[in-house]
Amino acid sequence: MTSTSTAIRRVTPSTPPRRWGRRSASGKRLGYVLVSPAVLVLLAITGFPLVYNIWNSFHYFDLLNPTSHRFVGLENYRQVFSNQTGLGPAIEHTIGYTAVSVPIEVGLGLGIALLLNRPIRGRGVARSLLLLPWAVPTVISATVWKTMLDPQTGGVDYVLSLLHLPGAHTTWLNTSSLLSWVAILFADTWQVVPFAAIILLAGLQGIPRELYEAATVDGAGAWRTFWRITLPLLRPALLVVLVFRTLSALMIFDIIYALTGSGPGTSTSTLAYVDWNSFLVNGNFGLGGAISVVMVAIALIVAAAYRLILRPKA
Amino acid sequence: MRPRPRHVFSRARRPKNALSVSAALVLAVALSACGSSGGSSGSQISASTKQTIVFATTGLGAEAQATAAEIKAFEKVHPNITVKVQQLASTSNDAYQQVVHYFEAGDAVPDVVDADTAWPASFARANWILPLSSDGISPGVLLPKARASGTYQGKLYAAMWYFNAEGLYYRTDLVKQPPKTPQQLVTDAESALKADPHLREGLALEGMKYEGFVTVFIDLMGAFGGGLNPAHFDTPGNLKALEFLHSLVYQYKVTPQAVAGWSEQNVQDAFVSGQAAFATNWPYLQSLVNAKGSAVIDKTGFVPFPSDNGAGVATVASDALVINAKSAHRAADVDFVKWMLNPGQQINRAVTSGDPPSVAAAYTSALFSKAPYFRADLNVFKAGVPRLVSPDYLQISTDVQNMLSSVLANQTAPAQALSQTAAELASLSK
Repeated sequence: MTSTSTAIRRVTPSTPPRRWGRRSASGKRLGYVLVSPAVLVLLAITGFPLVYNIWNSFHYFDLLNPTSHRFVGLENYRQVFSNQTGLGPAIEHTIGYTAVSVPIEVGLGLGIALLLNRPIRGRGVARSLLLLPWAVPTVISATVWKTMLDPQTGGVDYVLSLLHLPGAHTTWLNTSSLLSWVAILFADTWQVVPFAAIILLAGLQGIPRELYEAATVDGAGAWRTFWRITLPLLRPALLVVLVFRTLSALMIFDIIYALTGSGPGTSTSTLAYVDWNSFLVNGNFGLGGAISVVMVAIALIVAAAYRLILRPKA
Repeated sequence: MRPRPRHVFSRARRPKNALSVSAALVLAVALSACGSSGGSSGSQISASTKQTIVFATTGLGAEAQATAAEIKAFEKVHPNITVKVQQLASTSNDAYQQVVHYFEAGDAVPDVVDADTAWPASFARANWILPLSSDGISPGVLLPKARASGTYQGKLYAAMWYFNAEGLYYRTDLVKQPPKTPQQLVTDAESALKADPHLREGLALEGMKYEGFVTVFIDLMGAFGGGLNPAHFDTPGNLKALEFLHSLVYQYKVTPQAVAGWSEQNVQDAFVSGQAAFATNWPYLQSLVNAKGSAVIDKTGFVPFPSDNGAGVATVASDALVINAKSAHRAADVDFVKWMLNPGQQINRAVTSGDPPSVAAAYTSALFSKAPYFRADLNVFKAGVPRLVSPDYLQISTDVQNMLSSVLANQTAPAQALSQTAAELASLSK
């Protein structure tokens, strides 16, 4: 009896935590086991290419000239930032386009989201229709826009002509840098504004109605309500949209490939376009790798900056 | 000391084992994926053995039908060889990337590839294709300019499948005699525009930023005594050519700025619909100008692009057959290429698809009786100028495209654009 009670005294307090801890540790191990295939696959398809790409970026690596492979240090990076190779302007175009397009696209998306958040007739249909442009693959929508912007057979000049508006006989693509960028921005905006609007609409619907009612009772106007309630509470959704849109704008390729081919000259070339040209046309995996590394660095800096600026205030 | 329960050990070991198994599985999958894309031939299969070879080609429509007929006839004569067609992308850039991926991966298939004549030099430098002349394919059967287009470092690596040269189409009802010089071309275009109010273009050309614009410019450079030499690009002849191009749009206004978005198809539409007095294009248009629906039936001529020296010039750019160095079916591949170069097959193809033969022996009465317009083609071919054969051609072409697009948009003065591009090309040739 004594021995039994001693055993109970000795074991009872410590046993449950020890068993629990053991289960917890083994549970953790099981968790690692279960996720390990996914982690390994991710490492194989993202980690390895990233590291391999960085490695290539320090080499002269011409796919079409296998015997010339050699270590060149920072030479590829020097070329990326050299004006002579045309990559300097591509960086300027990329950043400039991002700076112009993201505010326009997110602003329009916010406007549409605010409109659709109001109890208006046909709201459901409008929401469904809104998604259509976003559902069209980018290359297809860009090709459609190219056809529509054709001065001889396209619909844009025809409609302008019917309405006796200026620009009815305009060659939109590859004759003027400004017009080419306008066409790119228009095609891009048409496609991505729905994405921004839908995300922001979801964010708006998550804001409690009571806050608006309280603001009304307190006599706050629409503008004040927007600044003090809507915008602060929309911050998480806005962060998502801004990060996604900025990163997409920094990587813009397919619209430019289909619409202008980076012309006229190289005035609509972007980093992604030059990267594609280096990798897949010229087979230059060294320079292409260096451009990719620069693009990843820019994307990381932008994402970190957004997180800092839009983080929830304590 | 109480012994540790056995199950604790087994649990502790399980994750390690599982991790190892997982890692092994992933590695096995990855390695097997790599393995399946590789595969080089260790031994060669003789032509008499039953086998299948893969032919990668880009042709669509009438060209695809002609290819299918040629393959069917080949298989009838070589019952032990089956030819499987692998369709490449229809655009040259995409098809090029596909082929480069196959070769870079060391694939043994496709065995035979239908390649743009701009590609084989780079493939040969990378040892992805082997010389054809060592396999009994005689370079002598090809038209001289076709031979030159497929020859790299003195060896024939690519057998031109059909001949293609960019010349000048003109309206015989508007222009009595084809122009002999570039300046006369401008004068004739201006006169035609004045005479016929339905005309919208004096000269229609491919001005989109792509390889087609480069071939037009090779015509222009040749017309003024210049040429595409990366080491010496900034020459008086090339400057005249670039200034001429600029003046067509901004001084003489015989070519609209809208051609900045035009490819062969747009030029074809403009000429066949009767809205252009002159047009640069390839021989395939010969069969279309006289086809049903054309507004210019029996009103067209096809000549070399006029040059300062009066001889004319026509850029040669076409498709060629190359054999994969890793193919295990080399004997069958060679038989297949020889079959495609057979004069009888070349004539059938020319009549069916409009692709002019690349072998001299096909230009006989058997061809001309079925398609008389090939006589005009032959005159244009005599003025043929092969494109530069260089492993860096695509990069050179990209730089030239940037220059042409910039000048056509009036963004850069011809002299400045030429000088900048010459510096870029010179750095490539170092």
